[in-house]
Amino acid sequence: MSNYYNMPKLPTENSPKVEIFVDDKPVMVPGDTNLLEALKAVGIETPHVCYHPYLPVSGNCRQCLVEQEGPRGRMLVIACYTPVAPGMKIYTPASSARVKNARKATQEFMLVNHPLDCPICDKAGECTLQENYMEAGQNESRMRPEYGKNYHGNPAHQFIDAKGQLRGGKHVDLGPRVLLDEERCVQCDRCVRFMRSIAGSEQLQLAGRADHTYITTFPGEKLDHEYDLCVTDVCPVGAMTAKYFRFQKRVWLLSHTPTISMDDSLGANIWLDHADGHIYRVMPRCNPEVNRSWLSNTSRLAFQNFDKNRLPSMGVHKVTFGNGKIALVVGGTCTLEDLAALRMLKDSLGDRAEIFGGSLLKVGAPDGIAKSGDPVANRAGMKLLGFADVSEFMKRASEFESLVTVNADLFGEDPSAAKMLEKINCRVALSPFDDATVKEASIAIGVRHWSEVQGTMVNSLNILQKLNACPVCPDEALWTPYAALSYMAGKKFECASEAFKKAGEYAPVLAGLTYDAIKNTGKLLEGGNA
Amino acid sequence: MRVIKQKPMTWGERLYIFEALRGLFTTIKHAARGLFRYETLPTISYPEGQPEVRNTYRAKHRLMLRPDGTPRCVACGMCAAACPAHCIFIEATASDDPRIEKKVKRFDIDHLTCVFCGLCVEACPVDALRMDTKEIVFEHRTRDEFVATLETLTAWNPKDYPDDEQSQVAPGGTKNAEARKVWGMEVK
Repeated sequence: MSNYYNMPKLPTENSPKVEIFVDDKPVMVPGDTNLLEALKAVGIETPHVCYHPYLPVSGNCRQCLVEQEGPRGRMLVIACYTPVAPGMKIYTPASSARVKNARKATQEFMLVNHPLDCPICDKAGECTLQENYMEAGQNESRMRPEYGKNYHGNPAHQFIDAKGQLRGGKHVDLGPRVLLDEERCVQCDRCVRFMRSIAGSEQLQLAGRADHTYITTFPGEKLDHEYDLCVTDVCPVGAMTAKYFRFQKRVWLLSHTPTISMDDSLGANIWLDHADGHIYRVMPRCNPEVNRSWLSNTSRLAFQNFDKNRLPSMGVHKVTFGNGKIALVVGGTCTLEDLAALRMLKDSLGDRAEIFGGSLLKVGAPDGIAKSGDPVANRAGMKLLGFADVSEFMKRASEFESLVTVNADLFGEDPSAAKMLEKINCRVALSPFDDATVKEASIAIGVRHWSEVQGTMVNSLNILQKLNACPVCPDEALWTPYAALSYMAGKKFECASEAFKKAGEYAPVLAGLTYDAIKNTGKLLEGGNA
Repeated sequence: MRVIKQKPMTWGERLYIFEALRGLFTTIKHAARGLFRYETLPTISYPEGQPEVRNTYRAKHRLMLRPDGTPRCVACGMCAAACPAHCIFIEATASDDPRIEKKVKRFDIDHLTCVFCGLCVEACPVDALRMDTKEIVFEHRTRDEFVATLETLTAWNPKDYPDDEQSQVAPGGTKNAEARKVWGMEVK
């Protein structure tokens, strides 16, 4: 069982290098971490099931065994819970048959009563057991067919299948979003540790002992937490499955687009997993600085509305405004490219135009996991490019004669603001969705959603992050917001990098940067973490 | 390498007329055989005569059935993954039977794209897909009709497969009642 104190120390760029001997060869590894991470840093992968870099070390799966030279000879130790010490001598399966056999035996035990469900298992294709089997196992089955599989876990869910095998717990309803397959569970207790240490709400527990162990909730309680879908990510096997993705698509048919979740100013790094023009699921993308491996349910399930209630493509034309003042308002999901294009539109309109950014939604408190609570994702970017807050605009709304909103659903966010905004005669709305502001607008222009554009955003930690376009746009003729805005300004941006260059002209910290210079985990801008 | 030297034509062959008559004789011979000794010809007068098809021939697909009449298919998508022509389209859903997790909602095989390689049959982990229907003729009026759906793939009669035990387990088969007893076992 894990306790609260043994979070693994992960190697960083500043880790001191120490020399250890792996298979009698000297290698330099990060010195302040565990052996598993140290070996990973020099390119030696160790199969593991229960170890997770962002969860406390539990060390119960015994899959990451290596041999260490000690005072009493060479002993098998688990790599995930052995700290690196200078000069230690380690033997991996490359040189030690004992390690190889030990790992193989561990693997065999783990698979004894694991059902042969791979063809119908949602995890198949990204399952740790499958990977480990190919790497460390490859045993021949010693199963005696007259016994078959014997599931001893939760006695309430046991049944005898058509072949006479004792099976159990195929779909246990854990909560509103997660289903548990008790039979597939290998009792790594990652989900228990996640709920205890990361989510901070101990809703899952291991019950029983030895091979009678099973995962359960407290009697009468359900697994229900803002981060409960993360247990399906950390589950190394197909035991925890998300109801929304269950049986939707085999994972090897999905393509992955790395991007940023634009519904929160922390900008959680995500994978958009898509196939045949639809997003099927959203997975967290590991970024140690931002969201680690976690993603809130809100960000994860938001994709279900990405292709609903969309505006069709329509001819973008230059809008001629009246003589009065013009307010240009951007919403939180606008990328830096959109902001630069809007700033260009402002310059072309002269002094009578003013730019505002933000939303009328309430700013919450950060939860310390993967949300900052601020619904305006690109707030830091707006500050960089000199956008005033939208509350400023609401105070002086009566001054303006025209209003241009980009991805900003002012009417929908605060219905009480509608009365004030309705006095503005000319209302132009650029939005991917047919929302309340579009319904009230005199001119509406459909644009691409943030999941379908390339761009950049600055998150609340002052990290510049890259969005990539996922090829799921319902209408290929839709314009990106930056293209539409720059066209209205008189000089259309043909690609996102052109708009990013323009953003560099407005914000000196962005000058000289290119998309290639931004790593997958983002780039910390000058000035450090805000 | 063997080199075959072409022999020069003889004087009689070079005259052409005798050789032409000889060729004509062969044609007339076969024409006469078709008129008077038709049964000795190897040609089948299709469609009146039908060729003999073995059950190992890779013909139209069928989906095997469980004793309760549901398709055996668990919608794992292995056949679709193995298919080189990408002609199998599967959608899955949760099963109503508590012992079975996944069942198939849509199972389409586009026989216009299918290359009848039989890899899908090899790939099936539950022996749900077979190609032993001996149906080798595909004639339809529209393209859509060439797509075999779940309904058409499961609409087969166990009486057409008298020697196959697995087919007799399906409803209407001789072993169905027996199999049903085992299948309908109490869920603990």
